[in-house]
Amino acid sequence: MTASATTTPLVIKKIEREGKEESQWRIVGRRFARHRLAMISLVIIIIIFALTLLAPVISPFSRDAVDIAVTARPGPPGTLSSAGEVHLLGVDHLGRDLLTRVLYGGRVSLTIAFIVVIFQELVGVSLGAYSGFYGGWPDGIISRIVEFLLSIPTLPILLITSSILIKTDAQLPVPAFVTNGLARFFDSTPQDANKVLVLCLILVVLGWTGAARLMRGMALTLRGQDFVESLRAMGASNGRIIFRHIIPNGIAPILVNASLGLAAIVIFESALSYLGVGVQEPTPSWGNMLASAQSYMFQAPWLPLVPGIPLVLVTVAFNFVGDGLRDALDPRLKR
Amino acid sequence: MTAYLIRRLFQMVIVVFVVSIFMFFLFNIAPGGPLTGLQQQQRRITAEDRARIRAQYELDLAWPWRYTRWLVGWPDGPVTIAGNQYLADMVVGCYMEATPEEGGGCIDTVTLAEVPQLHPAVKSSRGIVFGDFGKSTVVQPGQPVFGLLMSRLPATLQLQIPSLLLALLVGVPLGIYSAVRQYSKFDYTFTTAAFIGSSMPTFFFGLLFILAFSVIPSLNQDQFPWLIALPPGLQKAVRPYELAPGWPTINPGTPVDLFLHMLMPVTVLTIINVAFWSRFLRSSMLEVLRQDYVRTARAKGLREALVINKHALRNALIPFITVLVLTIPGLFAGAILTETVFAWPGMGRLYNEALQRSDYNIALAFIYVTTILTVLATLLGDILYAVVDPRIRYS
Amino acid sequence: MQTKKFLVLSLFVLMAMVLGACAAPAGVPAAAPAGGEAAAPAADGGEFTVLNPVLGDVAVRTALAQCIDRDALIASVYPTLDAETKVALQMDSNLPKTHWAWSGPYDFPQYDVEAGSATLDAAGWTLPEGESVRVKDGESLVLKFVTTNAAFRQTWSAVMIQNLAECGIQIIPTYAPASWWFGDTTGLARRDFELGAFAWVGEADPGGRTLYACNQIPLPNNGWEGQNSMGWCNEVASNAIIKANNTLTKEDRAVQYDIFQKEFAKDVVSIPLFQRAEAEAFTTDLTGPQIDPTEYSSWNLAEWKLADGGDTIVIGMSQEPDSMWQLVSSMAATAYVQKPTGLNRPYVQANYDFAPFPGYQDALSTIENGLATNNDVEVKAGDTVYSKDGEPVTLEKDAVVFDKDGNEVTYDGTSPLTMKQLVVDYKFLPVTWSDGTPVSIADFQLAQKIDCDKESGATSFITCESIQDIQWADDGSLAFTVTYLPGVQTPTYFLSPFDHPYPSHQVTTDGRTLADVPAAEWLTLKEIAELPLSFGPYMVKEWNKGQNLVLEKNPYWAGEVATPNVIFVFIPDTNQAQAQLINGDVDLLEKSTLGAQFEPLLPAVESGQLNLEISPSPTWEHMDINLYLP
Repeated sequence: MTASATTTPLVIKKIEREGKEESQWRIVGRRFARHRLAMISLVIIIIIFALTLLAPVISPFSRDAVDIAVTARPGPPGTLSSAGEVHLLGVDHLGRDLLTRVLYGGRVSLTIAFIVVIFQELVGVSLGAYSGFYGGWPDGIISRIVEFLLSIPTLPILLITSSILIKTDAQLPVPAFVTNGLARFFDSTPQDANKVLVLCLILVVLGWTGAARLMRGMALTLRGQDFVESLRAMGASNGRIIFRHIIPNGIAPILVNASLGLAAIVIFESALSYLGVGVQEPTPSWGNMLASAQSYMFQAPWLPLVPGIPLVLVTVAFNFVGDGLRDALDPRLKR
Repeated sequence: MTAYLIRRLFQMVIVVFVVSIFMFFLFNIAPGGPLTGLQQQQRRITAEDRARIRAQYELDLAWPWRYTRWLVGWPDGPVTIAGNQYLADMVVGCYMEATPEEGGGCIDTVTLAEVPQLHPAVKSSRGIVFGDFGKSTVVQPGQPVFGLLMSRLPATLQLQIPSLLLALLVGVPLGIYSAVRQYSKFDYTFTTAAFIGSSMPTFFFGLLFILAFSVIPSLNQDQFPWLIALPPGLQKAVRPYELAPGWPTINPGTPVDLFLHMLMPVTVLTIINVAFWSRFLRSSMLEVLRQDYVRTARAKGLREALVINKHALRNALIPFITVLVLTIPGLFAGAILTETVFAWPGMGRLYNEALQRSDYNIALAFIYVTTILTVLATLLGDILYAVVDPRIRYS
Repeated sequence: MQTKKFLVLSLFVLMAMVLGACAAPAGVPAAAPAGGEAAAPAADGGEFTVLNPVLGDVAVRTALAQCIDRDALIASVYPTLDAETKVALQMDSNLPKTHWAWSGPYDFPQYDVEAGSATLDAAGWTLPEGESVRVKDGESLVLKFVTTNAAFRQTWSAVMIQNLAECGIQIIPTYAPASWWFGDTTGLARRDFELGAFAWVGEADPGGRTLYACNQIPLPNNGWEGQNSMGWCNEVASNAIIKANNTLTKEDRAVQYDIFQKEFAKDVVSIPLFQRAEAEAFTTDLTGPQIDPTEYSSWNLAEWKLADGGDTIVIGMSQEPDSMWQLVSSMAATAYVQKPTGLNRPYVQANYDFAPFPGYQDALSTIENGLATNNDVEVKAGDTVYSKDGEPVTLEKDAVVFDKDGNEVTYDGTSPLTMKQLVVDYKFLPVTWSDGTPVSIADFQLAQKIDCDKESGATSFITCESIQDIQWADDGSLAFTVTYLPGVQTPTYFLSPFDHPYPSHQVTTDGRTLADVPAAEWLTLKEIAELPLSFGPYMVKEWNKGQNLVLEKNPYWAGEVATPNVIFVFIPDTNQAQAQLINGDVDLLEKSTLGAQFEPLLPAVESGQLNLEISPSPTWEHMDINLYLP
């Protein structure tokens, strides 16, 4: 009896939902396309992504190849290598090709941003949904942790944690294929790739609270609503309610949060690397490239622009995309 | 309200406690610190020498004891109750570790009774809770951390206060005006500019300024003698200089000199703050303008200026107080990135330097004070919010 | 159920990540035996007792040296140096060619790829057809290389790795943070490397005993004492380096160093790569600075003059001193600032040699000028003497010491034994503290009391422990006679065992006389650590932390002081410092600030605005080879 009672309405519900969902996403897409700056930003992001992914195709130089035969170091765009090839964006103080490094630096910076955002949303969404839906002591603990993380000074704590973990040479216990894969992608050693993961971990641990708060609020509101009550009455398990109903309902704000989060993480990572406690040389990142560029600024004024322009483009673009998404997903919040 | 305050204060203590203990633990596992490079000089360092030097930095004590000594200055010796000493034999650390040949472990433990002679009161901290921030270990070994922090505070304030005031003066009217003129050309340009401003990384902003107003002009002054090159960093010059060839000489330490050195960092900080605050104010103003009572006021035929200034503005500024209060920690902590970019001798750079060189006492004191200020500011913001907005009650 | 699992999972992931990152300061994974995992286990006999099957072979080490193109390394880090200076940076032993103790050339294996390949072929490491890495008995020639993450080291390392690859040697580099590599209980201090690169700073006294003697090998069993991290024990070399540091005259020492350097070239346990180059630049308006490899240029600051007669010289430094107390500060910045005050090693250590500080001493107390004597002394069981290992010991059966002829003797417990005993008169000229009080003998007594007090915070007390007796002059002159323990033959005996006198009369802010303040408190005394009284040409006037430190002429200094004010400005960024030198904000940039980054200065040098002096630094980069398996 219970079995038949539970299945039928749910099937109907599902069909309804899918139909609605499709058109809803289409509306969202249309609204997003109307946000001109967001669309431009999306295009910029896609171009930068494509460039970094195609790094080995675009640039004939290897990431760390030191060319000491080049006497003008740092050398301006168009500098010739000792073999007579053109360095399109010039060379740094070690005679390394800047184009190659800025592209690989992009790979590193953007990979960090995506890893961190994916994990912090995952952790935040699941903890937030759980704590909002069930309440009780787990909610108490999770809320306290969130409050705690929100009330500490983020940048100083990030700096201190990162500087210490970098010094300890701590390695994250992750499967070898992950580090090896990352190492291949970054063209670095697995140890260096693992260090990047340590940095990601720090950023995740300090950054999941936004998603958790969003999701918790969503779960709190939804759990009192009639349809949840009726689902429950029909015998749907809590897990099912959370996964099929509560989380999907919160997906819109989470997407916006994630997109803005990408910008924030790119900035945090570059700031840490700029201060020397983030990604470590010889692995390039836009932040550590800027740091070394500053010391050569009087000789090579164009040097900071090489990593700086893509950095600004990406952060601003992620923000605009987030903004566009917010407008598209929630028309009430129209500017 | 009282119950709420007590609860919040209690939470605050816990936050500060957890942060400090976690940081202390992190430092405990970090390599380096004051003993780094001990072996990098060609001289003989015996095991006894090393043990003695370790003990100078209290590294002979186990870290939980080091932590309590740092926090409250305890234990400073055996527990004395009514003239009787207790726990004198309790082991709190290891002065010298045994080699594997000797069986490993500790050959010379530190007991509570030995603490007073190994770590006499003059060398120990009375506890940060009682205002003794301990001594610097690397940056200025032996010097009180408190004095070091205080010596950097004026420079930080010199940047922070003007930029906060300027940002208020510029940001508030901008945000309000933009909200009132919603959908106008001004509003559109402004929101886009502010949006970009608030999504830029600060330090690159600073670098761009140095590039545009210092590096490029000074490199091109031969051809264009009218180009003004601002000083690229530091708080003041050390000897007379000119902005451009043939201009009047500026003497170091004069108000003009100080002003010129402040110009770029203050501008950068101001722009960032303006971008954030005006955006915040704009949306908060827009929200107020949508409220019924504003509509009513307008419907009553009140002049628009009156509606804006009297009814809307006041209510729009209320949430802004929380934002403003949150800048208090920054007054102390400074802007780590901006100070680094402009080689400004303030707190933020001291903190960064302490981290690079592993001077843990400075870093810990900085984190401790900043955390307290941040938590306090949050609390203050909440209270102020309740005071100015009668709809909010904490009970 | 499902959600609970999910929650547990995510919590677990979070915690695992936190714990994983925090609780496991794993360090670089312990260096696996070279050539693969199959090498002999090091289980029996403890650690560092099994010879590294690859690097234990002198042929492989020789090949390493033959495969590294030192000239290319130099060119990589100093691209704009002229050919002559580049040649001056080359090394063939552990001492610079300009050092008095170098009597080469030595035949340390030089760069020769073909010879290197031949050496490897002969040693059984052959290059299979179509492969790039040599193989022996199925093991590839892959070596782990550690150094710091400094850009400078990464630069030459990149070239070196390329060089070695051409010989069929694959290098896996680790660029570790300096705090790990030079940490107290990590990296180098625990011999956690196969090939490890760092630098030693050469001095006028060539030293070397702690680096190369057999009893200086850091091992778990000796509490990791010593600096011979290669684990190199060559009896001939070890005895020579010990004798060289236990002999008084330069000529006799040079003989021992020659023996040592020949062995060093034979065994190839540490490959000297190059001397660093150092540059010091100053405006042509400034006259007086004498740039020297081993002495800070500030030693003769009193003679510096500005062309326009200006009364203030501005010196740029990248580092800020950490304390004004020499005893606890080992920073070059402290020494640079303090040199003209007399408060830091008041003698001149120019061009690898020693001379008295003008106006403070007329002569150093050498045997040649009669101020020191090296007597024969009869010792018996129970006397405190200096052992062969350089430690004060009670003479008893089986103690190993040097007799009067410098021969190693194992004491039999009864028979008479004659040893050498140094008695040295240290004499100083009358000088006056910058508050007007003349320096008295009590100030030197206070120096002995504080410098030898274990509470003071000093690192080493070797000198204090080598003293048997001190006689202080009681006629008001500044002189004292030190009798060292029998067997003490410290080559630098002519330098006062206490760095400089302290103003014993000075009253601190809390009303105590300096002589009464316990040593433990000195580190925090403002009168010592921040604004000390001085007796040299200059005194510290003010110290604005984080910005500058101002020296002013000591009004009571008897000698000439050409320019009364000197400001040391702290400019952390080298490029900013250079810009300030070019536009005249700063008159001189000292060595540690400029390093070898002088390219931006070249136009100003050509236009005659700046003097630039580039010289080989006593600091030399080298690669140590760990002979044993961990």
